Amino acid sequence: MRCVVWAVVLGLVAPARAPAQEPSPGERLPVTKHVLPNGMTFLLLRREGAPTASFVTHFRAGGVDEWTGISGTAHLFEHMLFKGTTTVGTTNIAAEQALFPVIDAVADSFTAEFRKGGGTDSTRLAALRDRLKQLEDSARRFDVSNELDRILTENGAQNLNASTANDLTNYFFQLPANRVRLWFILESDRIRHPVLREFYSEREVVMEERRLRVETQPGGLLREEFLQAAFRAHPYGRPVVGVASEIQAVTRRSAEEYFHRFYGPNNAVVAIVGDIDVDTLAAWADHYFGDIPAGEPHRPVVTQEPPQRGERRIDVEFDANPQVLIGYHVPNAQHADAPALEILAAVLTGGRTSRLYQRLVIRNRIATSIFSFQTPGQLYPRLFTFSAVPIAPHTTQEIEAAVYEELATLAATPPTAAELERVRNQVQAGAIERLQDNFGVAFQLSRSEALWYDWRQTFRDDAAELRVTGADVQRVARSYFSRSNRTVATLVRPAAADTTGRSR
Amino acid sequence: MRVPLIAGLMLCTLPLTAAAQQPGDTRAQISALRFPPLRFSPPTPKRVTLSNGVPVYLLEDHSLPLFDVEVVSKVGVANLPDSLWGVGWQADNLMRTGGTLTLSPDSVDQLIEFYALNVFISTGNEQSNASFSGLSRYRDQMLDLGFDLLQHPRNDSSRVRITADQQLEAWRRRNDQPGSVLGRAWNQVMLGDHPLGRTQVTPVEVAGFTPARFRWTQQRIFCPQNLLIGISGDFDERSLLAKLERLLRGWPACAAGLRPVPPLTITRGPRLILIEKDVNQTNIRMGHAGSLKVANSPEYFAAQVADFLLGGGGGFNSRLLARVRSDSGFAYGVFSNWGADTKREGVFFAGAQIRAEKTVAGLALMQRVIGSMASEPVSARDVQLARDNEVNGFVFQFQNAGQIVQRQLNYAIQGLPANWFDVYLKGIQAVTPDQVTAVSRSYLHPDRLVTLVVGKSATFDKSLATLGSVTVMPVDSIHR
Repeated sequence: MRCVVWAVVLGLVAPARAPAQEPSPGERLPVTKHVLPNGMTFLLLRREGAPTASFVTHFRAGGVDEWTGISGTAHLFEHMLFKGTTTVGTTNIAAEQALFPVIDAVADSFTAEFRKGGGTDSTRLAALRDRLKQLEDSARRFDVSNELDRILTENGAQNLNASTANDLTNYFFQLPANRVRLWFILESDRIRHPVLREFYSEREVVMEERRLRVETQPGGLLREEFLQAAFRAHPYGRPVVGVASEIQAVTRRSAEEYFHRFYGPNNAVVAIVGDIDVDTLAAWADHYFGDIPAGEPHRPVVTQEPPQRGERRIDVEFDANPQVLIGYHVPNAQHADAPALEILAAVLTGGRTSRLYQRLVIRNRIATSIFSFQTPGQLYPRLFTFSAVPIAPHTTQEIEAAVYEELATLAATPPTAAELERVRNQVQAGAIERLQDNFGVAFQLSRSEALWYDWRQTFRDDAAELRVTGADVQRVARSYFSRSNRTVATLVRPAAADTTGRSR
Repeated sequence: MRVPLIAGLMLCTLPLTAAAQQPGDTRAQISALRFPPLRFSPPTPKRVTLSNGVPVYLLEDHSLPLFDVEVVSKVGVANLPDSLWGVGWQADNLMRTGGTLTLSPDSVDQLIEFYALNVFISTGNEQSNASFSGLSRYRDQMLDLGFDLLQHPRNDSSRVRITADQQLEAWRRRNDQPGSVLGRAWNQVMLGDHPLGRTQVTPVEVAGFTPARFRWTQQRIFCPQNLLIGISGDFDERSLLAKLERLLRGWPACAAGLRPVPPLTITRGPRLILIEKDVNQTNIRMGHAGSLKVANSPEYFAAQVADFLLGGGGGFNSRLLARVRSDSGFAYGVFSNWGADTKREGVFFAGAQIRAEKTVAGLALMQRVIGSMASEPVSARDVQLARDNEVNGFVFQFQNAGQIVQRQLNYAIQGLPANWFDVYLKGIQAVTPDQVTAVSRSYLHPDRLVTLVVGKSATFDKSLATLGSVTVMPVDSIHR
């Protein structure tokens, strides 16, 4: 029995494989694309199953769209969309909004003091911060705090959340299928009339989010510094969560300006998947969103990262054990070389049989793990990144040497037929497995349409990866993985710290 | 709960005219909505028993060509003799990576990755799991390989060495992240060295890794009398059952050697403990014995609602998130967990990551909010929120065949009735505000909290000592 199985592994018996030109299963989903005259796009998909509906909205607005000095605003604004509207979240919108200029004036004074840098009067800064808190607290008497959350929670909503990335921002939740109308009422209100209440206390919350994800986490800090080293011109080098000093100085006005520039309905893509009636929802889309005026079309970032002229190496000091990130500039996710880069990643680091895992983790026992991924976005040229954790006393330098050697091997000789067969089988299985969950499908449809103006593109990528040849992999291995195109970031202990691996 | 399925029809029954209102009256539009009841009759898995006594829950779903097998064992690492805890904790890893009697470790990896299978094995403290999934056309390969891994683990010495090296590296890195320091210290403070509080293998335990000891533990955790199997997806019942009978035939009965989980002693407070770590955000956890078990009792359901409203699921409308995050801006993450299990009382706790300069203010606020569950009665509207969330959202517990099968396995493992979800829903619906206040008064004690603080005390707003007598716990005194 097992011998027969083994024969398959050796490629003697090929499993059923889709012809190369056959579309990926996701491309055949019966999605209705409904575009309103103002450009807002709805992707509606009815699927058999439990009576639930999943809603995912992507806006073509992300960290890269911020302008100098306001980093973190895209993300802070995402938090603010949970604070309500001119009706949801307030008992007296006029009285509440009358206080905003007073609060904003104190915030401006705080920012002015903060801007003095070395000359900042810390006592005055603290007093202004307290004053800001008092004023914002006084505005709370008109608030119905977290009302949006309450309405959705009592209606059985699940997974209510949002996330901000470099290219896009998304908002999502699920509802029982008999309550889908709620989404239309709440979301049309939310993108028409958002009110940025409790803005300055939320700014403090976001600072804590930054500390939680970056400043107290060795891996998070290393990643941030790595991207900053690799991107000197393109905004992919800026942290989406924001630079600490800029988060502390973001104003309500700049967040509102960000909203007006990027949250037009023509920049929104909504996917609704589940037990839905497509025609009814299309009619509701027209009714609830049709009269919102279109905004400015999204304009891609003009800045292009100049070619890197020489290897960049940085150390990042943190009281923790070492790890390393190695990144190479590669094109964006729709470049003709993107599928081959995905296959190269799978050959080198995709699973326990991949070349680098075999070498570093299994044979030489130098590393606990080795991964690769392309970061920090999809729309613009990005970094093909290796991430590895050494096992003491082995070093990150030993890992680097192995990575460079395997890249050179792949540049010299294409992957074997057996390797390609394995990777293709994984792509084929993944193309079906990704369709299991309605919420997941809604994310994929919405993201693909928002990035590429085509919901099928993400599924076409599967088909494109199946067509990649060994020569393609060899070609991209030669094209992108040169020393001068490389940035290496290593986490090291501060010089004064204990180096024995024990914590102080 | 078994009612006709008409969910798909109701969207059309809502008149479009209800929306013909002016923007700006969102609340009026919402209150004008009338939702028809969600009628839904989730499928029930079929339960059969194999000839060796292993129960199997089956639920076919042919919507996609996928297949999923879940194997659950009702014992875990805490049932092993104490000296084998570390071996048991990594026994799962060796089952997945260490090969079988007839397949080398590399061959196993190649089979799994060639067929794009997903194979996970996990030995937990009180229960263990294995799952195999992938394309249904590789069903036979999945079953052959999966049950070979469970029945005939080789524990190849080369893989034992890899696992040992990795565990030693994890040990070196155990204090790199504040959350890891907090979690491990918390378990030690609250539970001593009880196996239920262990999450980290020590170097002494790593030194005891041998293929024979791994085999001893694996054979006792994964053996027929301990197992339940759940299968969902694209399969034909008859041929599947015949295959399972063949695969499980000859699997030896469970050998002796396991013990019941030792009784748990939970540390009583008040205690205030500081671990110094040079970070600009303070990790906090506070709690005490939870005093409740999962049971069909009004107190248990009231405690579930209390936890929802305090910080365990009520989202931004929970008191901790509303007051510590939204109102004060002290933290991004803050939560409570009044966990209960079926076997014994658990630990109630709340946690947060708070700005260093607000550490003491934040701690005091969290204590007050916990106390408020008894002193400031929850409103009928709040209790309604918790009830409505459960009742209106019940359908999310039955979204697909895999989830439905998994739920039945969990109930069976925990000794809960197959209709526990109905019982739970009824129990939650019956909870009153008075019951929430009463259960909070009986069991939540802000004056008896054990509080653990990981941070840089020199940057705190005030001395921790203003809250009580402080014990400094050196980070190296965390034993595992």
